This record gives sequence, structure tokens and C-alpha cells, in this order.
Amino acid sequence: MIAWLQNLNALTGGLFLLVTFGLVAVRQTQGCVRLFVALSVLLGVSAFFLSAIYQTWHLIVIGVVDIVTKAIVIPWLLHRSLHDEVITRREVTQVLNIPTALLIALALAIVAYLLSQPLLAVGGGAAIGVNLPIGLAGVLIGGLTAAVRREAVPLFLGLLAMENSAFFAGIGIAPEMPLIAEISIAFDVLILVLVVSVLTRTVHEHIGTTEVGALTVLREDPTR
Amino acid sequence: MFHRILFNLIQVATVMAFAPLVSGVTTRCKEIIQSKQGPGIFQPYRDIWKLFHKDEVVSDRSSWIFRFTPYLVFVTPIFVTLLIPVLTDYPLFFAFMGDMLGGGFVLSLGGFFATLAAIDTANPYGPVGASRTRMVGFLAEPVFMIVFFTVSFVAGSTIPYIVQQRWVTPLANFFEPSHVLLMLAFLMLILAEGGRLPVDNPTGHFELAMIDESKSLEYSGRGMALVKWGGHMKLFVLLCVFLNVLVMPWGLAHEQTLGAVLLAIPLVLFKILIFVLVLVVIESSLAKLRLFRIAEFLGAAFITSVAAMITRVFAT
Amino acid sequence: MNLILVPALPLAAALVSVLPLGRRVAPTVTVLAGSAALVLAVLDALHVVADHSLVAIAGWVELDGFAALLLLLNAFLGFTAALYSWGYMAAHEADAGRMRSYFAHFNLFVFSLVLVPVLGQPAFVWIAIEFTSLFSVLLVAFDNTRSALEAAWKYIALMFMGAAIALLGFFVLFWAQQAAGGGHYSWSGLRVVAPQMPLVLVFAAFLLILVGLGTKVGFVPMHTWLPDAHSQAPAPVCALLSGIKTTNSLYVVLRLAALLPIASVLPWLRVVGLISVGVAAFLLLQVRDYKRLFAYSTVEHMGIVCVGAGVGGPGGMLGAMAQIVSHSVTKSFCFYAAGATLLAVGTREIASVRGLIRTSPVAGAALLFGALAIGGAPPFAVFLSEFSIFRAGLEQGQFLVTALLVALITVAFFGILMHVNRMVFGAPPDSGSAERHALPTTCLVALIIAAIPVLVLGVYQPVSLHALLSLAASNLAPSPAP
Repeated sequence: MIAWLQNLNALTGGLFLLVTFGLVAVRQTQGCVRLFVALSVLLGVSAFFLSAIYQTWHLIVIGVVDIVTKAIVIPWLLHRSLHDEVITRREVTQVLNIPTALLIALALAIVAYLLSQPLLAVGGGAAIGVNLPIGLAGVLIGGLTAAVRREAVPLFLGLLAMENSAFFAGIGIAPEMPLIAEISIAFDVLILVLVVSVLTRTVHEHIGTTEVGALTVLREDPTR
Repeated sequence: MFHRILFNLIQVATVMAFAPLVSGVTTRCKEIIQSKQGPGIFQPYRDIWKLFHKDEVVSDRSSWIFRFTPYLVFVTPIFVTLLIPVLTDYPLFFAFMGDMLGGGFVLSLGGFFATLAAIDTANPYGPVGASRTRMVGFLAEPVFMIVFFTVSFVAGSTIPYIVQQRWVTPLANFFEPSHVLLMLAFLMLILAEGGRLPVDNPTGHFELAMIDESKSLEYSGRGMALVKWGGHMKLFVLLCVFLNVLVMPWGLAHEQTLGAVLLAIPLVLFKILIFVLVLVVIESSLAKLRLFRIAEFLGAAFITSVAAMITRVFAT
Repeated sequence: MNLILVPALPLAAALVSVLPLGRRVAPTVTVLAGSAALVLAVLDALHVVADHSLVAIAGWVELDGFAALLLLLNAFLGFTAALYSWGYMAAHEADAGRMRSYFAHFNLFVFSLVLVPVLGQPAFVWIAIEFTSLFSVLLVAFDNTRSALEAAWKYIALMFMGAAIALLGFFVLFWAQQAAGGGHYSWSGLRVVAPQMPLVLVFAAFLLILVGLGTKVGFVPMHTWLPDAHSQAPAPVCALLSGIKTTNSLYVVLRLAALLPIASVLPWLRVVGLISVGVAAFLLLQVRDYKRLFAYSTVEHMGIVCVGAGVGGPGGMLGAMAQIVSHSVTKSFCFYAAGATLLAVGTREIASVRGLIRTSPVAGAALLFGALAIGGAPPFAVFLSEFSIFRAGLEQGQFLVTALLVALITVAFFGILMHVNRMVFGAPPDSGSAERHALPTTCLVALIIAAIPVLVLGVYQPVSLHALLSLAASNLAPSPAP
């Protein structure tokens, strides 16, 4: 039974990694939001599997809280507080083209796996072999997404994906963390989304576009 | 030994006989989903029969490649049939003649000659389609390689029969993350290599937008019949590899009797039918990709296959 | 009990500020809450000096020496910034709704700042640090100009990236504690099991938190948001951001460093610190905006604290603690002076400001005073603390590090004085078209209050303060090697 659960958890982890790659590759804002919802759902599902493997009910609560806040409330907040045109924008510009970004993401994933090897040698729970490397890879790839995107909403979703991946690693390596801490972290993310959507709306109103990559006024430019 | 040769022949006959049927069913289902009637499911047979009875017109600017290619395109899938599990899950007579990589190379030999033949005539649309086919081909190569390598790494061998055993026996193996990701990558590969949407529209008539269909533009009569039949068989063979090795490795003949082998034929057709339904749904819900987006599509397939490899190689 | 009151007061003030009660209510409530919080913080700090720790809820809300020091600084800066905001916002802002919004956010920001040292559980400290970033974003963007919004966007993006990496670090830290045998997940609990924690895990956690929270501290190369955010915000917010917010994150990094054996962690601190000091010192030389000047100086001072901690030995850590205190009070004073300058001349560009001492004597004198103080000239507080770091460095035999530090601080001093000199002296330009305001009284009062520690600590260190600093340094003494 444990072997089955571990296999299913590993499958969830594989799909999690794939969705993280998808975040780098997708071209539309709407697609980004959908992939983020998928990411959060996979995180919740993995939490459920891990709660069965580790025999702790903490993780069930975390899974439920995570799915509710990230898969339901956050997309709703984004749709409500931002103009429709921001969300339905189709072509998303990036600094790098997509195949190059995908290759870099791949390299980051391999680096994450290599970096986790000495940590895994210490030993720990039954599922750390899956959650830790994939979580670390997700953090790095989320950072890549945030670095290459020029649009506000996909950039921000990349940041949220980083936090999701940190959590994905966390539920594998620290399942006993006090429940109240993890729930507070989930609500903290909610407040973050509120603040950022207000900021994005302000940017949209005052500057007229949410292409924040084009804001490059502040610089030390000796020729100016 | 006599049995094995007989089963091999039955296998080849199955592929030759039922490949046009699969194409017919695919077309009919797609038309029904689009609220049209569509041709009958046996229409490809009638087309091939009609073409065999027509005269051939061959351009006098073409060389021996043009005349030789239809036979090659017809024969290469048959060669590959000898290597893969179509009806049985034990290796047959020619099974160790080549492994999956060998099968892939044989199929691409056919594709290579088809491309050359398309350039061979003076038709301007031929080279256009040929260059696009080559682009899709070389973008799909890394995916092929990684998929095959990962599968062989997992199973410890590159012979499809042995690979197939691995997924069947402990059922938990089926849900390994590398397996699921490989299935996804291979599905994208079939869409690319088989010339289906979203890579290419197999029913399009607009020559400027054709990728795969343009290689058969100049053929007529017997050559056209062989090229068409070979195309149907190539798709059938790819589907057999996909379904019998990766997705649904059950339902193949286990005992070495004639009855078991004959029973396996409708089971294999049933599996292919299920996949055809999935394929039709995919094709009807996606739009054709712009040409340079195909690189991103195949890049995504590449990433999926490498993710499969990573989760397998680094798994504790 | 009053330990819980200290963060509760600003929170209550925030709630009151939101209510549409009249133009004067929000600032008054803020200042009152700030002063009450300061008094309570001083009492708590004295209590800690006497008893070595103060516990409200064991394991969750407690203070030891280092935390008490930081709480004191947070409260002091919160108070002076509140006082300064009163006048500054009255001069700057006409719309009552925006005033209320500013003070509500300000109070929430102070609440989150005060929360960081008070909490004893690392995961909650992460949340508190996240709150400090979140509640200050809209303050950074307050002006709603294009550059302010750009600064705010860069700020939140980099802050959150660092936070996600640090979150992973905290999870690994928990794992390390579990592997060492468990215990309560709090700063005190961690110190108890520190020698048994597997070195790989603790080191990985330290590196992750160094990169993640180092982004919030402003270590190079993650500092790119700092000059933008710390220059575009209104002056009192800048004072809080530069003076104490970065220090709060550095607090967590130093606490992590204390869990590792000495030999492995000190070189990291020295190298990271030196790189920050060096890059900041050279970047200082070519700024064109005087608030960015002070922001780069913040990066430099964070680096100096790191080097002080990295030099090792009790003297080094004591010097680092003293540097934290002197930097906070001095930097806030500098930003108050910068705000006064902005009110007086209406522009942020160094090149447009000349002869400030004639145009607005108060602003000019304050700016000169602040520049000298933050550069490290005697007889100000920063000079004493930097000197004690140099001495500790020589005592520990770190000659190369000390020499580099001296050289780079000199470069920074030169840079700051060069720019400020040009601004303060010379002939004033003919009347520009930029708007000018007279300096409000409360701003002047805040300036004077902020100047007092800068001067006093340069010549005399009160006994209780010295005791507090030593207690803080001993809290951070690295655990003995396993």
C-alpha cells in the first residue's frame, strides 16, 4: 500500500514538474492562470498522499487550505481586481524566446536534482526523494519565469509558483511543522495577492499598460 | 519454428489489411464530431483498389528515386512490423533483427526517400512540403531518442518485447512518473510524425499549408496507391508501438497457439479504436499551429521526455 | 503582557486611522501609539538587561538580548518616523483620504516591524518579515508617479522571490532540527540542539536563507531593488525602510549564522559583507539622486555589520551590534534630513541643488550633519562602532579584511561627502520652478530627537545600553564545534 502511495505521489511530483515547465512555455495570461491552478491542485493532492504515507492529519488540513486559497480564491481575486483586458491578453512577451527559456529551465531542474543529492543522503521521511528535488527545481524555475517575463500577471504567477514549490518541498521534508504556521503562510500569500493586484491596477491606471518590463527609468546612467 | 513464421505472416497480414480501416474510422469519426456524415469506413480500401486500376503518369524530369520510392514507403512499415509486438507478447522470428532504434531508423528511411522524391519532380510545392517535413523530423529526433533511451533505461533492454514485459507485471510500475510522462511525450510525437493536428492537417487541400501530404502530390495510379497504403501502415505501426508497449500492454496473445493469436486481432483493433477516439477529440479541439510554433510544441515534448528521464534517473 | 502590547498598539492605531474621523485624528493617534510603544519597548529592554530574557508565551513570544535590542530600535524609529510623518504629510498631501491611507499603511508597517523581534518561532518570523515587505509596497508606490510604481514593482517582485527561497530554507531548518532529535521549533530550541544538527542540512538552510533574506537585506548582487525603493518612498518611510527593515532581515540571517560552527560560517559572512561594502562604495560615487546616495550607504552599512559579525570573537560581534544601533539612528536622521531638503528645494537631483545652507539653513545643516555622521566621521556614533569593528578585526588577525574594509569605507566617505558638499555649499541657483515648502515644526522636532542618539552615542555609551549590547553579542556566540 505504501508503495502504491509513493508511486502515486511520485506521479504527482512528475506532473508538478511538468506544469512548472509549462509556466515557462505558455504564451497566454489565461493559460498561466490555469497552469497555476493546476499546480496548486497538484500540491494539495500530494499533501493528501503524504498525509497517508506519514500518518499525520496536519497535511490533510494543509492540502484543503491550499486548494481553497490558491486554486479557488486567488484566481477569483485576480479576475475581480484586474481589468478584463489584463487577464485575457493573448500574446505574452518575454525577454528570451520560449525554446531557450525551456532549455534553461531544464538545466535548472537537473541542477536542483544534483544539489538535493547530498541533502537526501542525510535521510528523512519516505517521500523526500520526490518532494525535495522537485520543490527545489520549482523554486528555481519559478525564479526564471519571474526573471524573463515582461508582463505583470505572468511574472507574479511565477513568483507564486516559487512559493508553491517551496511548500511542495516543505510538506515532504517537514510534515510535522506546527499547523498554525503553515496555515498562516497560506493566508500571507493571500494578502500578497491582494496587495499585488492593487499595485497592478494602479500601474495599469497610471501607466496604461501592465508591461512592467518596459519600466526602466530608474538607473545609474552616466550619459543621461 | 513453423508456428513462429506463420504468426509473423499473420502479423504482417493484419497490419496490411487493417491499416486502411483504421484511417477510414478516424476520418469518419472526425466528420461525425463535426456534425457531418463523412465517407464510409471502408472508403480507403475502395480508393486503393481504384488507384491500382488506373494508369500512372510519371514526369520525364524525375529520376529513379521517384519510381523507387512508393515501393520503399510501402515496405518499410512492414519491416518494422516484424520487430514490434503487434499480436503476441513473446518475440517472434525476426524480433531480434533490430530494436526500437532500428525500427525508428527504418521508418525514417522511408520518410527520407519520400522527401527526396518530392523534390525530384519539378512541382514547386513538393520541396516546400519536403523542407517542412524535414524540419518537423529533425525537431522530433531528440524526443524520439530521449524517449527510447528512457524506456530502455527503465526496462534494461531496447527490444520492444522485453520492454513491454516490464510495464505489465507489477501493476504499480504503470503509474511511475517516468512512464506517464513518457506516454505524454510519445503522444505528442505521434501527432508530429503522423501528420495530425495540431502539427499538420491531414485533410487539407491547400498546398501552401501542407506539410506531410505534399509528398504524395505528384503520384498517380499504382504509385499513389502504394504511397497511400504505406502512409496508413506507418500510422498503424506507430500506434501499435505506442499502445502495445506503453499505454495498454495487455490483451496480447500469451500462449503459442493459433487460436490465441487470432483472438488477439480484434483486441488490438479494439485498443486502436479507443485511441482513435482520443485522437479525434484532440484533433477536433485544437487549431493548427503556426509553422514556427511547431518548434515550441516539440520543445515541450522534449522537455516532457527529459523530465521523465530525470525523475527516473534521479529517483531514490 | 506588555510584550504583546507593543505590536498591538500600532495595529490598533492602524484600525483607527482608517476611520474617516477628521484630518488630525490619524496622525495624532499614530504618534500617540508610537510613543506608548517606545516607552513599553524601553521598559522591556531594561527588563531583559536585568533578567536576560522576557517571556510572554514560552516558545512563541519571547525576547532575549538581541531581540530586545532590535525591539528598542524598531520602536524608536517608529516613533520618530510617526512624528516626522505628521508634518511631512501635512505639507505634502492635501487629500484627506490619501492621508488616512498613508497613516493606516504606516501603522501596519510599524506593526509588522515590531513583530519581527517579538516572535520566537522562525516560521512566524518569516511571516512577519513578509508582512513588513507587503505593508510597505503601497507606501513605496505612494506618489503614484511612473518611477515610484516601477520601484514598487521591482521591490515586491524581488522581495517575494527572496521570501520563497527563505521559506524553503526554514523548512530545511525544521528538518535539521527533527534529524537532531526534535525539540521546540524556536530560536531558543534551535540553539539547544545546534551541535547535533547534521551539518549539510544546517548549511543548506543557512545558504538558502542567506540568499533569500539577503535579498531583503540588500546584499550584493541582490540589492538592485534597494536604491529604487528606498529613494522613491516618502522620507519617513525611507527612514524606516533603510534604518530598520533591512536590519530586521539581517537579524534573522545572523541568528542562523549562530547555529553553525564557527569555522564554516565566518568566511561566508566576511566575503558577503566585503562584496556589499565594495560594490556599494563604488556605486555611491556616481549617483544623481541624493536619496539613492543614502540608500547605497545602507547597503554598505549592512555589509559592514556582516563583516563585523564575520570577524569573529566577542569583540567583532559586539562591534556589529553597536554598528546596528548606530546605523539605525544615523540613517533615519539622514533620511529625515533628505526629506527636509526635498521640502525645501522640491527636487531629488543632486545637480540641481546648490547652496542649500543659504536657501534653507536647517535642511542644509541637517544634511551635512547626517552625511558626516553616516560616513563615519568622529564624533558621531558610526565612527565609534566602525572603529570597534576595526579593532576586533586586528585582534582576530584578520588583517586583509580590516585593511579592505578601511579602504572601502574611506571611498564611501569620500563619495558621500563629495555629493553633499556640492549640494550644501556654493551659490544658490536662481529661483527654480520646483515647489518649495517651509519645514513643518514636527519635522524639526523629529530631526532633533533623531539627532540626539547620533551625537550622544558618539561620545558616551550608557551602561544599560552597553549591557544590552553585550547580552545581544553573547546570544549570537556561535555554538561550539561538534
